[in-house]
Amino acid sequence: MATITANITLNSDITNHSISESMTMRKLGTTAGLDNATGIALKKFTSTSAVVVVEQDEVTDSKASKVYMRNSGSSKEDFFYVAINSSAAAATTTETIGKLYGGDWMLIPYEGATNLTVAPSTASDMTLEYGLFYE
Amino acid sequence: MAITTATIDITSTDLGISLNASTNLSKTGTSTGLEIMDAGYGEVTVAHSAKALLEASAVSGDRDTSNYFYLSNKATDETYYLIVKLHDTIIGRLSAGDWMFMPWSQGDADAEINITATNGTCAYEYATFKSAFTLVDKT
Repeated sequence: MATITANITLNSDITNHSISESMTMRKLGTTAGLDNATGIALKKFTSTSAVVVVEQDEVTDSKASKVYMRNSGSSKEDFFYVAINSSAAAATTTETIGKLYGGDWMLIPYEGATNLTVAPSTASDMTLEYGLFYE
Repeated sequence: MAITTATIDITSTDLGISLNASTNLSKTGTSTGLEIMDAGYGEVTVAHSAKALLEASAVSGDRDTSNYFYLSNKATDETYYLIVKLHDTIIGRLSAGDWMFMPWSQGDADAEINITATNGTCAYEYATFKSAFTLVDKT
């Protein structure tokens, strides 16, 4: 059994409310740790075409899989659309999660029933850092 | 200008993973810090079925913007988990003690975030950080 730990800190001076949490990634409904990870990959994009970065058949559906993504760029104008969709990601795609701007990251549970697709907002070089953790 | 910083680290000595990342959350397409925050605690029971935790904006001008969402399942029984959805699409299952953080663009009016407790009542903590919030007409 492996141990994967993820910590988050959210500090804001909007209300001086801060959040700090730690979790150990575990198999659904158990205390056993997730055993598998793809490792952290980097993918360079040079067009605005949508690309599947996590395929649904990489994991078993309805478990405790998790996906990490980060736009490794620094531009706060350029972003990746991230969507739970077989092949598309755009403003109104069903179902686009959100826009990952330069430096932004996300860590979400992943159902595994549909691909995760990203689409850059510009054809200029952009790089996505991502990883999958699964049972 | 407010400053909100989100930091993550993921480590696993077993699997050879070590990463750290940090970002300042900014308004749509700018480096200006977000200034709207909503946070709180709640509890959802199995009997509640799916409940909208956050509604997507009813105002079209607030859609497709830069917003961020945090959720933590505060349940302590490992068999209790939350099913987290964007409208009808399941994002994933958030086990007891787990947290998630993601952008949330509110691409259309059918992009609400809803949660369902499974196997038992789940207490939760949430926070949203938004670019814009337009008041809607009174009813």
